[in-house]
Amino acid sequence: MEFKYIGKSLTRPDAVRKVTGKAIFLDDIYLPGMLHASILRPPIAHARIVEIDTRAAQREPGVVKVVTGADCDVRYGDNIKDLRPMAKDKVRHIGEPVAAVIADTPQHAEAAMQKIEVTYQPLPVYTDARDAMADDAVLIHEQNGEYWTLPTLNPIAGTNIANYYHLTKGRAEAGFEEADVIVEGEFLYPFGSCAALEPHGSIVWFKEDNTIEVWSTSICPFIIREDLAHAYGIPVADVRVHIPELGGCFGYKSDITVEQTIAYIANFVPGHPVKWVASRQEDFTSTLIGHGIRTRMKLGARHDGTFVALKTKVYHATGAYADTGVNVTIGATHNSTGPYEFPHCDLEGYCVYTNTPPVGAFRGYGHQETQFAIERLIDILARKLGASPLEVREKNYLTAGKVNALGERMWESNGDVVQCAQKVERAIFAHQKPKEDDTYYYGRGFAALMKSPKGAPFSTKGCYIKLNIDGSASINMGGAEVGQGLRTVVQQIAAEALQIPPQKIRVYPEIDTQYCPYEWQTIGSMFTIQGGRAIIRAANKVIHTLKQTAAQVLRCDVDMLDYDGEHVYLRSDPAVRVPITRLVRGYMYENGMTIGELAHSVSDARLPRYSDPDPETGQGNMGVTYTFGAQACELRIEKKTGKIIIDHFASSFDVGKVINPQQIRGQVVGGVLMAIGATLYEKLDFDAEGRLRNPQYFQYHIPTLKDIPGKQTVEFVETPSAIGPFGARGLGEHPVIGVAPAILNAIYDAVGIDYYDIPITPERLKQDVQVRKFASLQVRKSASVQSDAADEGAA
Amino acid sequence: MAEYVTFTVNGIERTVAAQPARFLLDVLRDELHLTGAKRGCDNGTCGTCVVVLDGRAVKSCNVPVEKLDGTTVLTVEGLSDGKTLHPIQQALIEAGAVQCGFCIPGIAMELYALFEEELDATEDRIRRALNRHLCRCTGYEAIWEGALLAQERMRELEIRS
Repeated sequence: MEFKYIGKSLTRPDAVRKVTGKAIFLDDIYLPGMLHASILRPPIAHARIVEIDTRAAQREPGVVKVVTGADCDVRYGDNIKDLRPMAKDKVRHIGEPVAAVIADTPQHAEAAMQKIEVTYQPLPVYTDARDAMADDAVLIHEQNGEYWTLPTLNPIAGTNIANYYHLTKGRAEAGFEEADVIVEGEFLYPFGSCAALEPHGSIVWFKEDNTIEVWSTSICPFIIREDLAHAYGIPVADVRVHIPELGGCFGYKSDITVEQTIAYIANFVPGHPVKWVASRQEDFTSTLIGHGIRTRMKLGARHDGTFVALKTKVYHATGAYADTGVNVTIGATHNSTGPYEFPHCDLEGYCVYTNTPPVGAFRGYGHQETQFAIERLIDILARKLGASPLEVREKNYLTAGKVNALGERMWESNGDVVQCAQKVERAIFAHQKPKEDDTYYYGRGFAALMKSPKGAPFSTKGCYIKLNIDGSASINMGGAEVGQGLRTVVQQIAAEALQIPPQKIRVYPEIDTQYCPYEWQTIGSMFTIQGGRAIIRAANKVIHTLKQTAAQVLRCDVDMLDYDGEHVYLRSDPAVRVPITRLVRGYMYENGMTIGELAHSVSDARLPRYSDPDPETGQGNMGVTYTFGAQACELRIEKKTGKIIIDHFASSFDVGKVINPQQIRGQVVGGVLMAIGATLYEKLDFDAEGRLRNPQYFQYHIPTLKDIPGKQTVEFVETPSAIGPFGARGLGEHPVIGVAPAILNAIYDAVGIDYYDIPITPERLKQDVQVRKFASLQVRKSASVQSDAADEGAA
Repeated sequence: MAEYVTFTVNGIERTVAAQPARFLLDVLRDELHLTGAKRGCDNGTCGTCVVVLDGRAVKSCNVPVEKLDGTTVLTVEGLSDGKTLHPIQQALIEAGAVQCGFCIPGIAMELYALFEEELDATEDRIRRALNRHLCRCTGYEAIWEGALLAQERMRELEIRS
């Protein structure tokens, strides 16, 4: 198929307003009569609130109201209703809202907030899932098991286990009987932060007409709308949510995060919009964090390297509230197979309450965390088998005809992981690696990966198309542009589907639940697939409307007509035609009589045949569509410092169809660097009391320009998908998945040390290399003593 | 300490109260409603608030108001002429350096100060300037290419004029 507008590097429609500083982000909004909120957070991570004294704060200048959660009766959550907008009797993590001040300026609000005095009665703090699972552990939620949950969830009452997910395939653990070789390991992907440059914030305005208007840094306005309507007992139509420009997301602006808290506060001053913007510290502690996943994994294979069975236990420290983390645990569990077929699977996921900020999506729902484990373990297995790690993988890839752990059968249209692997293999392994020298050790490593969307039964995306009198088109969708380039993708797909040049396609720049068609939420690398399909369906409808009007004008049947973006014409005689500019409002005869319909349409798309997991096996159509890929790297370790220098990082994904080459490269290059940060230095460092030691950018380092790899190779395979628009697949979260295991496999290749957790800092690596050297010296020494003894014996 | 300070922002003379613990970024955003400079952190780490003060790129969240009297400030809003983009802005767009857009005004102003001072800045100097800025989206590749392209474009313009 020849494409006119797909596959070209169009400039993003929002680039000019961003580079001129005119794009309006949440904190750039000033409303008449607006007040400001500042929120008090507890100094300890788990405690009963004994008393809150607000008297001193009330007397501070500019203070309008001081708010506590004492009378709060709102509970919310979309998966588990375990959240409160403000702590009522207990705090469960250090970022929790305890009280708030509403004042005339942010400075006054903050100064008064410092004067609130709270007496706490401390409780034991758990920052690790397994500690919180101990038999004698204090319950973080006494009500666990009583909260409303989705029917598919399984909380274990009387424990800190918010959900237990169990997936079995084949003979489950019994399948290990068929294995000749078994390898095991325990892996840790520690807490991290999405740390987008724009912090979270919200403005909430309860109005005199009993409606609520909201502006928020969120990618799920329709969820916020429904949650607030439910909490305040008003019709959903009376909550209006705006999403301004978003300064990055990466996961932690999905789901409802800060909005219920700001609404709870604003509800005390009806008539006034109340604004709150997170400090950087609050952005780290009081929104959503990522990962916190410990994976115990056992892999069984035959002598020839064929995989037989996989056992995974995911211990997920999901934080003080599990509403957002529970899907991460489930995703981590069923994706722990990586892109491989196992005849037998026994995969368990424990989503466990801990006294850390709640975990949410972070460029995937557990994908990078457990695929880190499997990709490390396969390298360890290959060594045990004396086989090449790449060849072992190639024997087991989920290629056409194979069945994944969820029971979904793979078809050719699911993409070709083998080709992806070959591409990165050529980039990284085709030449000899340099030999160790005085300054450096050298290593190379590989990892393959897969990722499906994070679906849901109604993961719908809507599209509204309006054709204008000059033949231009307006496209209105509820998908959130977070920087990924969604608007460009919409523009290009709409141009292709409508056969109208992109210069004449205007994508609505803002999301407003009052005007936008419904969108579930823009998560899980699924907008291109579903949003794109919604555009094509809406385009087909509007083209049909044009044809229906033209059929009356040209006095023929609709199916005799064709459309080319400018005219509707008779297939058998293209000279018989009407320009679409004369059809978009219906058609007008010379005498002013009009016929036909307005040329506009609305449509939507969701994941076809997505289904919930089966309660017995945990299987189901939960992936629906997959993007496969492979990543590899070539690195150097500086002997003097232990510093890891990534000379070359290569990635390849089967994306079905590249829509915008420049944007897709940007997405991959940025994702790879983000995961390099996680692998080499990023980690939210909680002490045993649940306090965060590094809640600032100068303590929690994210990569800068000096940290980029020497070279990044990015190549794509284009096996058309049967689902996505023009054969395209999703690619948003994928670039982070294989990075940590590829680097750790390369570290082994360089210095022979197996790491099971990240980050690998220079200090750590340097020390481990020294210890290892010392140990091998000892071994050599004792070996030589033994051989001396043997010599003596012989004599 | 003067009660008020008078300085020039994007060619317009402004007079603002010199309150203690108030910084250029607060004045720009909260008082002058020039919101192109962003607040990404609490302590001068991220670079999203960079503007040009008397020809130097500064983190405006760190500049106390009382030091502004008689100075000249250029913010991203003053970089283009309202119709045509500055070559730096054009280059950043063409290179694909704009993703979420939160860091890009600060980066544009950093490059402006650098190339106005030294159009032939070495790659090393450009790298050091950009190292003052955090970006979570792009992986910096396109920002780097955009910076080099901007330098090339500005040189061309200088040769022509």
